[in-house]
Amino acid sequence: MPEPRPVRFRYDGREAIARPGETLLGALARRELPLLQRSIRYHRPRAPFCGIGHCTGCLLRVNGRPNVRACRYVPHDGDVALSENAWPSVRFDLQGAFDGLFPRGIDTLRGFRRPAVATRLYQRVVRRLAGYGRAPDPDAARSLEGPALRREVDVLVIGGGASGRAAAEHAARAGRRTLLLDRALTAEPVPGAEVVAATTVAVLPPPSAVGFTALAVTEPAAPLTVTARSVVAAPGTYDGALLFGGNDRPGVVSADAALQLSAPDRPAPFRRAIVFGGGARAQEVVERLDGAVVAIVAPGAIPPELVAAASERGIPLYPRSLIRTTNGRRRLRSVELAARGGGRRFALAADTLVLAHRRLPHGQLFFQAGARMVWRGGPGAYFPEIDPHGATTVPGLYAVGPAAGVVRERSAESGRRAVAALLGAPTPGPGLPLEPAEGPHELEGYYRELLRGPRPGRWVACPCEDVLLEEIADAHRRGYRGLEVVKRYSGVGTGLCQGRYCLPDTILLLALLEGRSPPEVGYVTQRPPVVPVPIAALARAAVPPEAPP
Amino acid sequence: MTALARREYRTVVVGAGILGLFTAYRLARAGAGPILVVDRGFLSAGASGRNGGGVRQQWETAATIRLARESVAAYRGFGREFGVNLWFRQSGYLFLAESEAELARLRTVHEVVVREGLPSEVVGPGRIAKLVDGIAPGAAVGGTYLASDGVLYPFPAIWGVYEAARALGVEVALGVTATGVERRDGRVSGVGTTAGAVATPHVVNAAGGWSGDVSRAAGLAVPNVATRHEILATEPLKPFLDPMVVRVSDGLYVSQTMRGELVGGLTMPHPTGTAAGVPTSVAFLARMARALATLVPRLAALGVLRAWSGFYDDTPDGFPVIGEDPRLPGFHHANGFGGHGFMLAPSASRRVAASVLGERSDLDPALFSPARFSRPTPGPAERLQLG
Repeated sequence: MPEPRPVRFRYDGREAIARPGETLLGALARRELPLLQRSIRYHRPRAPFCGIGHCTGCLLRVNGRPNVRACRYVPHDGDVALSENAWPSVRFDLQGAFDGLFPRGIDTLRGFRRPAVATRLYQRVVRRLAGYGRAPDPDAARSLEGPALRREVDVLVIGGGASGRAAAEHAARAGRRTLLLDRALTAEPVPGAEVVAATTVAVLPPPSAVGFTALAVTEPAAPLTVTARSVVAAPGTYDGALLFGGNDRPGVVSADAALQLSAPDRPAPFRRAIVFGGGARAQEVVERLDGAVVAIVAPGAIPPELVAAASERGIPLYPRSLIRTTNGRRRLRSVELAARGGGRRFALAADTLVLAHRRLPHGQLFFQAGARMVWRGGPGAYFPEIDPHGATTVPGLYAVGPAAGVVRERSAESGRRAVAALLGAPTPGPGLPLEPAEGPHELEGYYRELLRGPRPGRWVACPCEDVLLEEIADAHRRGYRGLEVVKRYSGVGTGLCQGRYCLPDTILLLALLEGRSPPEVGYVTQRPPVVPVPIAALARAAVPPEAPP
Repeated sequence: MTALARREYRTVVVGAGILGLFTAYRLARAGAGPILVVDRGFLSAGASGRNGGGVRQQWETAATIRLARESVAAYRGFGREFGVNLWFRQSGYLFLAESEAELARLRTVHEVVVREGLPSEVVGPGRIAKLVDGIAPGAAVGGTYLASDGVLYPFPAIWGVYEAARALGVEVALGVTATGVERRDGRVSGVGTTAGAVATPHVVNAAGGWSGDVSRAAGLAVPNVATRHEILATEPLKPFLDPMVVRVSDGLYVSQTMRGELVGGLTMPHPTGTAAGVPTSVAFLARMARALATLVPRLAALGVLRAWSGFYDDTPDGFPVIGEDPRLPGFHHANGFGGHGFMLAPSASRRVAASVLGERSDLDPALFSPARFSRPTPGPAERLQLG
């Protein structure tokens, strides 16, 4: 086999090199986190935040195709990548003046009404504030051609983490036709099962005995239609966002992104990182970033294991602290903190703030399939309601692993139990321990205290759509209640990440504003697809025969 | 549980969609309170919050065109009246014909529209290519275009009318289901709700996809059928497409919203009834994707962001049902809009309010009255049920 050679591509007119298999973002984030985007309304500088293909911080135009997520795209020789939504360049975008010109925000709902003769002009201006990219080039879809795939299986397993792999192994060993879909760009084999690297974008419950229909897409755009008797979903968790002044500033990243960009075989683009969080995830980040961590900040107490990891490295600890705001021009320069309980305020210099305080379940597939969801106060999120075997309220659909609320150490066991149950040999005894359902999430108290103080800087409640915290408060003031309506009123959660990063905290904020519990604030209908799917892929998707009613 | 402020109202409106809210607003303006609006869901949960925002005046019948033209004028002045922007963009509806037969049908519509004084145009492939950037060569043999048609952003219309109605004293009870209509001496005497029974001489059925259920709960046989239509939105783009484009052959409709998303749907076998909820199907996603990719091939490289569905409230003849039911005085219909309630709401709600106030209507009862369904022979129909 010849040695794989580096890939040469162009980014904004410059030559760039990617290692074989490396993503576009990986190649562009060697020394520092790159500015790749401007925000949609205020043209604030943006860099990647999530690292897992959902936020708008790494959208590039690649070979004439807009909205390509650099963190998920593996470049080819000769690719041409461009930053969009900025003029003349993403570093010096004249429209960035909007941010200063509209300190109270751009009110497209009630502003721009006078004089009436200017209506058409306003329309042109406001229309240009939408969208990250221009329409695709005429030939941009050529790279998206590929075969359409179709599978019929007994057991479809979604997610290749510990619980999903255990489920797939168990089902295959029992002689069931088993397919494992995993979103990773490359997939590890499972004995006896077929494994495909594909993102499951929809799971539709059975209209009849035919079973479930699932739609998945491989990179870049081959559609895979699966019909399955049973579905074991193990979609896992992701790191949530946090609201503070300048929460969208380049340098604020999720723990997912920090871990992704500091893989052991590459230099990390972080020099001085503050880690926010007081649990196992924060510890994982500290161990990986190691010498680059300058402080650990936690909303509550810091457990002994993390204290030990910090003292080994001489990292100062700031337990029971609020993040108030970030400072810096284009990039993060410092983070302003305050000790809780009205304590002192102080700033720490940093180029990176890693959010590792909150793991949230990927619940979209369960919502979509119509499974009943329950609010778990401990983790502060909605989980599928399950029986001791992981069965959801949709017959044939099982939820396993951390996305089902199962404690992480018992993930694999939860996968095996679900398969045992669907094979008709359920494991006796009580179910596995779940994350606690009772009690308020610690961020409820955190936000109650934080929002009492002054709010310097931009508080971007929904970074995809540039919706400000003030706009949510305004919806409340005008009498709109509940997440569904506030979402439609303010636009929060309607952007490209489909609310993954903004709605969990919006629920907590509305609970505080409305004086109700988070589950009373409600949730929003999750609409397929789970991630945006190229029209080229959907157009080729095999359509399973309609079941008789 | 929401508690109602009173036990007695002058009018109870069932449905807090755009029609119900507009009707309540107009009644309140006429001083005909107290008014209660009940809705089983949250504000904008039904079709008013699920539609594509199209507003057109190209119809087969003069009666519909007149209602539509009046609505266009109302939506143009909406910002002044209600203080919120709909971003009503009048950049036209473009109907596309793929065959001479389809074009002949559009010409017939065009002639009616022109007779009503609207400057509809018959356009050829050259003009179509200018109106739709990147349209596939040969995608249409011709079409019709009316520049004063357009698209608006539906949500602000709901907020605007909701706030205005409430400011006039209208009570809007969300999460409250109407369970039945009480009658005494052959007319409406009250409405049962999940928040208790209330007395009222007038009830307005503006329940959209659930209007058939509401009428039947009042003991009235109606032919309304709820059909589930699917719709999708793409990732947002910079301004790319100005008009609403509608293809006659498959009912494909697509426009670009003020948010930059391309939003559209098409005609396919639509399941009936509200019981199965509002899911999305792989069949729709695949068909819609194919339709978009054949119309404007470069869109194949664009991502679909989300899909959803909602209920059309269909009638056999394609006309809405507006006015008092002769079988049950006090029961007023504001339903059967077949997916076009949003675009006709400002004008239709005036007639509904007039009906409640006992004023004379200018609508042809042969087309709009609920009594028309008991005629032995079918009357005229409005068949341009596209987009």
